[in-house]
Amino acid sequence: MISVGYLGKELRRRWSRTLVTALGLAAGVGLVMGIMGVSNGLTAAQNQALSPLSTVGTDVIVTRTVAPASASSSTASPSASPSASTRQPQGGGGFFGPGAGGSSRGGAANQINDLNATDQAALLNANSSILTDLSKLGPAGTAFTHDFFVPGTLITFPDAAVQDVAKVEGVQSAVPGLSLQALRESGTVPALTDTVTTGGQTLTAVARPAPLTDAEQAQVRACIQASGEFTPPAPGSGTRGSGGFPRTGGANSAFTKCLPERYQQYEAQVVVPEQTITRILNPPQTDTQSKTYTVAGVNPSDKTTGLITVDQVVSGSWFTSKPANEILVNTAYASTNGIKAGQTLAINGSNYTVVGLVTPTLTGNISDIYFDLNTLQAVSTNANRVNEVLVKVTKSSNVDAVAAAIQKQLPGAQVLTAKSLANQVTGSLANAQSLANTLGGALAIIILLAAFLIAALLTMSSVAKRVREIGTLRAIGWSRGRVVRQIMAETVGIGIIGAVVGVVVGLGVCGAVDAFGPTLNATTSGLNVGASTVNLFHQSSAASVSQNIHMQALLNPQIVLIGIAAALVGGVIAGTFGGWRASRLAPASALRDLG
Amino acid sequence: MNETTAKTEGAALLYELHGVERRYLKGAAEVMALRGIDLDIRAGELLSIEGPSGSGKSTLLQLLGALDTPTAGTVHFEGQDLSRAGEKTLTEIRSERIGFIFQQFNLIPTLSAADNVAIAMAPRHVSKSTQRERAADLLSRVGLGERLDHLPSRLSGGEQQRVAIARALANHPEVIVADEPTGNLDTKNAAGVMDLLVGLQSAGDVTLIIATHDPEVARHASRQIRMRDGRIAKHATVA
Repeated sequence: MISVGYLGKELRRRWSRTLVTALGLAAGVGLVMGIMGVSNGLTAAQNQALSPLSTVGTDVIVTRTVAPASASSSTASPSASPSASTRQPQGGGGFFGPGAGGSSRGGAANQINDLNATDQAALLNANSSILTDLSKLGPAGTAFTHDFFVPGTLITFPDAAVQDVAKVEGVQSAVPGLSLQALRESGTVPALTDTVTTGGQTLTAVARPAPLTDAEQAQVRACIQASGEFTPPAPGSGTRGSGGFPRTGGANSAFTKCLPERYQQYEAQVVVPEQTITRILNPPQTDTQSKTYTVAGVNPSDKTTGLITVDQVVSGSWFTSKPANEILVNTAYASTNGIKAGQTLAINGSNYTVVGLVTPTLTGNISDIYFDLNTLQAVSTNANRVNEVLVKVTKSSNVDAVAAAIQKQLPGAQVLTAKSLANQVTGSLANAQSLANTLGGALAIIILLAAFLIAALLTMSSVAKRVREIGTLRAIGWSRGRVVRQIMAETVGIGIIGAVVGVVVGLGVCGAVDAFGPTLNATTSGLNVGASTVNLFHQSSAASVSQNIHMQALLNPQIVLIGIAAALVGGVIAGTFGGWRASRLAPASALRDLG
Repeated sequence: MNETTAKTEGAALLYELHGVERRYLKGAAEVMALRGIDLDIRAGELLSIEGPSGSGKSTLLQLLGALDTPTAGTVHFEGQDLSRAGEKTLTEIRSERIGFIFQQFNLIPTLSAADNVAIAMAPRHVSKSTQRERAADLLSRVGLGERLDHLPSRLSGGEQQRVAIARALANHPEVIVADEPTGNLDTKNAAGVMDLLVGLQSAGDVTLIIATHDPEVARHASRQIRMRDGRIAKHATVA
């Protein structure tokens, strides 16, 4: 329905127009391919940054964190469904565990607020064990080092939840993990008390005996009269009271003798007994040094899945069959602190052998020291409690569905997938990725639209220059449709040339990015064991891990196809405009004198 | 010439024009290009249309060539009312029954002489090889058998107009409508082109309608009309 020979000759003999239009499309296509390649490369880089997670085979991490105040936006929010945990006041416990007395799993809606409050109380309670009872460390002056283990923001829960997760359909394995914040306090036990000696003073007390009764006065008078030494005051002056009596005086000894018993001793001296009082000093002056690090407990039998795996051991070995006093140390922490495999570390009076150094996953929970789970549970008084369940699913395409199922099974759980962790990757890689996704997408659209516009305008202009030619074709019997198709075919032909050149340009752009691209940095924060709620701590040295990745533009067949399609679409769009313009030309325009 | 007249008088009416008017909008102003034309043209005639620029000559040719339709009146071509015909019918008539020749030759500049002839056959269901054969044949008939692959830019004006004639003949038309076919040619080339066209008409192949101000051309005509201000000013049958 089109004249192919005419088409080819038209494109060839009007080569400058063909070339300019095709190059316009090619430039657009090439740049868009470059942008897509960079975006794709960044995605690949991010996957690379996250790849340790996938090599571990952890697809989903189940944790329990304090419900944020506005939790509705988070799909993994524990507050999405109030759980039995709202009934469990102690230590963040009772989390989705049917065993711990959580008989009612569903709760009234108004428990959501209670849940947060309970969570927070539990968290503070768990973390408050850090408040050192210095008195138990020994007499003043004793040097001490003590490590405290607290769950940070990751509330612990009964390890029965691991079995609950394992039962969820699509879960291949569920492995427990216990990630804790450790605070090492070292210093000298301070003087907690001092003594104060009081008492020994002589005090003069003034007493005020009750006034004499009429009977007593009569008696006294009688007594004095009998002694004949003193003339008593006139009778009827009783209102003067006792104050009228002289206090002392040997001259009045007769008077004194005549007074009732209580007046005989109303002047006395009191000696306060001496006492020594021990005061508790508040607060005690200490020279305590604090240092934080993170620890995690892993099941030594789970060698290939969990927080760390046997593959990640870079020197030394995995836990032996007697793991109780063995630890694995993060390479980053080891190099900072000069720890080598084979050496012994003393923690709370026990010696632990560093059996190996590990490089843990970039994502997930990164710790400095890895213990046997049982050991850490005992040391941190978290018997049978964990705070993470690392889940491997049977089919990777099922991750989201399994995550949702776990969420349903365990209301109150925070269920994170590797994908959602990817969103926590920060650093220049993430910046570049978001730039490529947002600005890059917009830029690609603008570039393509510009290329399309240029092609359309050039085609329109070409049609305008060919008014007489098109009119002639109509005059010699070409239908409107045939003329439009011919114009369309020409621009699609240009689009094909643009596609070919554009793919070459795109390859060049991507090659240039590979050659001159910057190095990007990826940081993953893991699950933030020591996050904000408990400000006693700083972020652990290894809680976030950085990685440098060279920026690459990765082309794949889809991108090339998209580029080709874009060029063809550009050709069709240009042809549509040109054809529309041509279709409006009357056959009589063949006779137009163009000068 | 009596022979010609006699021959055409008995022939069927090819065109019947009644009260044909054609208005154009030229900017805001309306131009009345044709102001009531009544004309019959018989098959086999050689009709010359003379007149100064702006007399309506070209407009009349466009109507006769089915390139345009009147704003008033009727144009019947072999009994078919072109003024009411649809786009498709007009395209078919242009393709198969009318050959149009332009003063500017109007060859497609990117196509060779042979291709220029062949594209006229493109809308018809004719194989490429047949198209090429017929194009070569027609170009030989117009004396360009050696120049099949020449681009128009490498042909002289006279040669280009011969290619245009060959193109007009491509689909065996009944009529050739030529708008000042020799207007851009020197005397020698003009004579050659005219001889070619008149030869086609006198051989009985086609009806020939030529707009011209060349008296030499008009001399060949069996009938002459002169246009002025959109009307037929003078109608003469050459005796």
